[in-house]
Amino acid sequence: MAKQPESFLPLSQATFYILLSLRAVRHGYGIMQDIEEISKGEVTMGPGTLYGALGKLEKQKVIEKAIVQQDNRRKYYQLTELGRAILQHEFIRLKSLVENSSELIKEVQQ
Amino acid sequence: MTVRKFKLFLGPNIHKEEEWLTEMSKKGLHLKKYRLFNYFFEEDPEQSYVYQIDFRQEATKDYLQLYEDAGWEHVTNAMSIFHYFRKEASNTDVKKIYSDKNSIQDNYKRMLIFYLFIFFFFLISQLGIIVSWKGPWHDYLLVGGDIVIVVVYLYMFYILNKRINFFRNK
Repeated sequence: MAKQPESFLPLSQATFYILLSLRAVRHGYGIMQDIEEISKGEVTMGPGTLYGALGKLEKQKVIEKAIVQQDNRRKYYQLTELGRAILQHEFIRLKSLVENSSELIKEVQQ
Repeated sequence: MTVRKFKLFLGPNIHKEEEWLTEMSKKGLHLKKYRLFNYFFEEDPEQSYVYQIDFRQEATKDYLQLYEDAGWEHVTNAMSIFHYFRKEASNTDVKKIYSDKNSIQDNYKRMLIFYLFIFFFFLISQLGIIVSWKGPWHDYLLVGGDIVIVVVYLYMFYILNKRINFFRNK
């Protein structure tokens, strides 16, 4: 049986950003640059961390190799159906967390 | 000018090795080649690099390319499994190849599996000594050598276990 997207949640911050950056086909360094940009500099990922994460995600069939003909030195990645579903589920989960707590958080004194 | 230094580092102590190489580089000696505990340095007092070592058994083209794209120069390797990278110290980018605890831990876990595998085959290969034991003097030498190796491996497992626990989340 195929793995359910819910079984991957919650995602780590790093994984969430990797999947989000694969809204377009990108190679490893492209992912690093995109993450730095979309996280407004909050998340910078080392190549070792990224390479390990990509290998794991590919094994779990969350992402897959994309064929890009002009460049044979770099490996390009794209989301699988499962990867897209995971990202959507995680987004909904995070959104409801924020929505459910946005009023209540004011009651929590600093 | 090339300077050669002999130094013993065990695999699990790559963090100490990284520190040493970075320290050497501050003094103007930059690692260029590694061969069997021999470190070959290139002298240049004008330069300074930060060194990082990655454990990776299958260093593919895209793996090396990713590091290069991210500004890490692949300097040398040890047995094609320990990869030495460097970046100029003046560079303002991140100076670590691992940016979270999980991935550092994974690196040590890969190393642990690798050494366990080797240790296992070593033990099997040495069974012959016990089976064909006749007691001549050179067998005592062999057993002595084996004991040293076993102790070194047990020590490495101890360090690896400590490192893995250190980077465990929560």
